[in-house]
Amino acid sequence: MRRQPTWPRHTAMVVVCALMLMPFYWVVKTSLTGENIYAYPPSIIPVAPHLFNYVDVWYMIPFAQYLLNSVIVTAMVVCGNLLFNTTAGYALTKSFPGRRWVLLLFLSCMLIPFQATIIPAYLISARLGVLDSYLGMALPLLSTIICIFIFKASFEAVPRSLIDAARLDGLSEWQIILRIMLPLSKPAIATNVILTAIWSWNAFMWPLIVTRSATMQTLPLGLARFLSVMEDTTGALYAFVVLVLIPGLAIFLMAQREFIRGLTTGATKG
Amino acid sequence: MRLPRLLRNRFVYVPLLLALVTGVWNLYVALHAGGIIEGEVRDSAGRPVAGAAVVFFERNMINYEEYQHTETDATGAYRFTQMQIHVGQLEARAPDGRKSPRYQLRLWFRAQNTRVAPLILAPG
Repeated sequence: MRRQPTWPRHTAMVVVCALMLMPFYWVVKTSLTGENIYAYPPSIIPVAPHLFNYVDVWYMIPFAQYLLNSVIVTAMVVCGNLLFNTTAGYALTKSFPGRRWVLLLFLSCMLIPFQATIIPAYLISARLGVLDSYLGMALPLLSTIICIFIFKASFEAVPRSLIDAARLDGLSEWQIILRIMLPLSKPAIATNVILTAIWSWNAFMWPLIVTRSATMQTLPLGLARFLSVMEDTTGALYAFVVLVLIPGLAIFLMAQREFIRGLTTGATKG
Repeated sequence: MRLPRLLRNRFVYVPLLLALVTGVWNLYVALHAGGIIEGEVRDSAGRPVAGAAVVFFERNMINYEEYQHTETDATGAYRFTQMQIHVGQLEARAPDGRKSPRYQLRLWFRAQNTRVAPLILAPG
């Protein structure tokens, strides 16, 4: 049988990749040149590139403070999600009265946009006394339903006989989660870490509402503040955008294999 | 020699590498952040100009304003100290009224010790 040539498929993939990466390239190019984004004809190759826009960003706003705030909030969100989603996902693999209703409730909650819950979330945060704090910023993202379902799908893929054997060996439910389920669910963990880290890293609306002092602001809020501080913004603004993007990209690139595997776990049977 | 298994994990070595690069860069900055900017002023024939005023303009939100000034010595050299800036402009003004074009100065970090290219006075 004659083999089909692969070059048309590869060419199409390269073209699609180039089209998808073009906005990223344009942001990086503008951050290096500072040229007017409305310039016509646009230059594809950067003209006289330099890194001084990044230096401007570092000194013109408290970038290190914003970075630290973002890292702390993201770390809290990732840890909270791992704890709560793991336990919730494991519980949903069990049979208990009302399980179907709980699943339905979770699914229906996914249909409610976050914007619709901002006022109650704010009032609850105020009652708890966590406004303008790291915990207050992390609280609404500490558990996400989609990640609970990812863990549930991953745990359901673990053979029942393995869990029964562990139970016969005297392991408690917590030990089963820690010693059996989690080591076999690395792709789900990676997916959870990546998704929640990126959601938390890019969160704008909730941190804007819950923070009051400038020292508590995260990077996306800093970006908005930066726009109001800088007069000649183009190059430095794009440099700021690149700096905000880098950690998320780094996490994704480090864990992309597990991420893809985690998203597809449970998608096929057999 | 094989590295320990933990160090071969990309979730460990990538952050460690980043921390190492950051540490080295901060060490370099600490060793070179003396706040000294120096250079010399010459005329259009390349001769050093003594007694010329050299003005440093600091960038604020929308334009540049005078930040510090000094004078060149007999060899045409000038030196600014305690410059806590990373961007600005330099201009030389000779006693006879000649000026140099403004030299755009951009540094890699605040207070970086820098030797600037000679400021050339425009012909009178």
